[in-house]
Amino acid sequence: MSALPLQKAVGSVRSAESARILGTLVLTVAVIGWAGADLFRQDLALLGATYALLALGMYMPFNLAGALSLAYSAYVAIGGYSVGLVATKTGWPLPVAYLLGALASAALAVVLGFATRRLSGFYLAAVTLLFGMAFQSFLLDAKDVTGGAVGIGSIRPLTFFGSELDRQTFIALTLLIVWIVGVAVDRVRRSPFGVALQSSRDVPAAVEAAGVGVPALRLTVLGAGAAIASLGGGLFTTANQTIGPDTFTLHLVMLAIFMPLLGGQGSAWGAVLGAVLVVELTFNLQIFERSGSLIFGVAVLAVLLIAPGGIIGYAGQGARWLRGAATRTRGARR
Amino acid sequence: MTVLLEGEGLGKSYGGVRALDGVSLRLSAGEVLGLIGPNGAGKTTLVDLLDGAQPADRGSLSIRGRKLTGPPSRRARAGLARTFQHPHLALDLTVRENVLLGAAAPKLAGIGGLVAGLVAGAFRPSGARFDATLHRVADALELGDLRRRCGDLTLGEQRLVEVARALAQEPSVLLLDEPFAGADSGGIAAISAAIRAVRAQGCGIILVDHNVDIVASLVDRIMLLRSGTVVFDGDPAECLASPEMQDVYFGTGGENVVA
Repeated sequence: MSALPLQKAVGSVRSAESARILGTLVLTVAVIGWAGADLFRQDLALLGATYALLALGMYMPFNLAGALSLAYSAYVAIGGYSVGLVATKTGWPLPVAYLLGALASAALAVVLGFATRRLSGFYLAAVTLLFGMAFQSFLLDAKDVTGGAVGIGSIRPLTFFGSELDRQTFIALTLLIVWIVGVAVDRVRRSPFGVALQSSRDVPAAVEAAGVGVPALRLTVLGAGAAIASLGGGLFTTANQTIGPDTFTLHLVMLAIFMPLLGGQGSAWGAVLGAVLVVELTFNLQIFERSGSLIFGVAVLAVLLIAPGGIIGYAGQGARWLRGAATRTRGARR
Repeated sequence: MTVLLEGEGLGKSYGGVRALDGVSLRLSAGEVLGLIGPNGAGKTTLVDLLDGAQPADRGSLSIRGRKLTGPPSRRARAGLARTFQHPHLALDLTVRENVLLGAAAPKLAGIGGLVAGLVAGAFRPSGARFDATLHRVADALELGDLRRRCGDLTLGEQRLVEVARALAQEPSVLLLDEPFAGADSGGIAAISAAIRAVRAQGCGIILVDHNVDIVASLVDRIMLLRSGTVVFDGDPAECLASPEMQDVYFGTGGENVVA
């Protein structure tokens, strides 16, 4: 009788869902171990985590629903500045800043989406692009609030029951948060809500006719995406203890558009893998020095040509082919 | 019989062309109303006005005595479901997911429902609580393997999936825009059986089709449209024999002739 719970556990691990969750957790823990106490590796891991949250934030509205907003540099910056402001001007715990940043970014995304709700997707992109540019000017000019070009420094670290978290622990925590958000976004993708989202990209009239208001659906997911990206900015700023107007620029958003493409749009993990690859290509390939963006561009083109499903999609195809080959061999033996 | 859907003086113009001119209709519970007429008579326009896909220029609509206005999503929540002349399916998604949209849509109503749906999606992604509805509808229409991608289906199979999605909404009024076009004999039989089944449950159905024979075998009443106006409204057998029908389909009016 004692074997029963074990069998149950094995059975549930066998399902693809559990495999995905466990596999990605193992990879996350591996990255935490890899970064360890090495400061440069910690920087890479932190950057990867921030990019991943940005790409996960864009994944639901853009990759699933087809709504391209370009104001994500502003949402990430809002997350960062809310940490800076809460840390330097109030005595509140930093998680309050994460929450405030997420709420402010979501509200802003909803307002921008609402303003362009009756126009084609092009106008959402155009208006949010303009907003992103204007927001960066605002960060430079509103010196009293944002510290102007200098930004906000000496941000206190996150405390946990009175004791300060060191950088290594905080980055490990950040990576775990990325994992949790990745699991959540990927589960939402497959849920009824995700089905409505993906249908709204291809057949909005059918989604409307079924009873889901497409404009409200888009606004909801634009807000949720902005909140996720903002969390990334908040965590990055906490780890670096400083934020300035040049920390998060439009360039980042342009990179983020291609992250899921590189990793594979078929799953939220494609966005995370794409973020990791971007960090690797643009920062870790020392031999190419400053040509990282160029290499990134070439890599995107190569993936589009060779594996339109992205790297995860390509690997999935390979796995299916291998399984098929194994079945064929078994059949031949009989 | 209780009146489910009532339209009064519905009109729609495109530029100077009157696509629909003062059409009134009434649909009772458990009634199948056939909507026939040549191409350009205004059949799909009428379905679009009922469902809200296009706003009416004139006229009023009510469902169970309550005013029916606003975008299609609001009308769907009031009990309306429809299929499209050209199937509107997410081709990258599976049969199950496309039908799931219909079953889950009522839970995703309004901002509150959407936020709840988003959060619920992270915790219960499978949508298993809609399985009973899904399987009932899938069995009724003999959808077969629900894991197939809709892009891999024939046009006839896609029609079945679309009817299934509409049925999964558990509507009180069902608008079917040419559901038989492209369906094979098995599909036609499955859709016909489904129509009879939901009628027996008290659903009102408006059936648009070119195929007069199929329509006549299924409907309780026929409305014949021509150039945006109703030229006949009544018993199917009477309609087929009526001079209006002869004139529209076999006359020398210069409009399309449907065999």
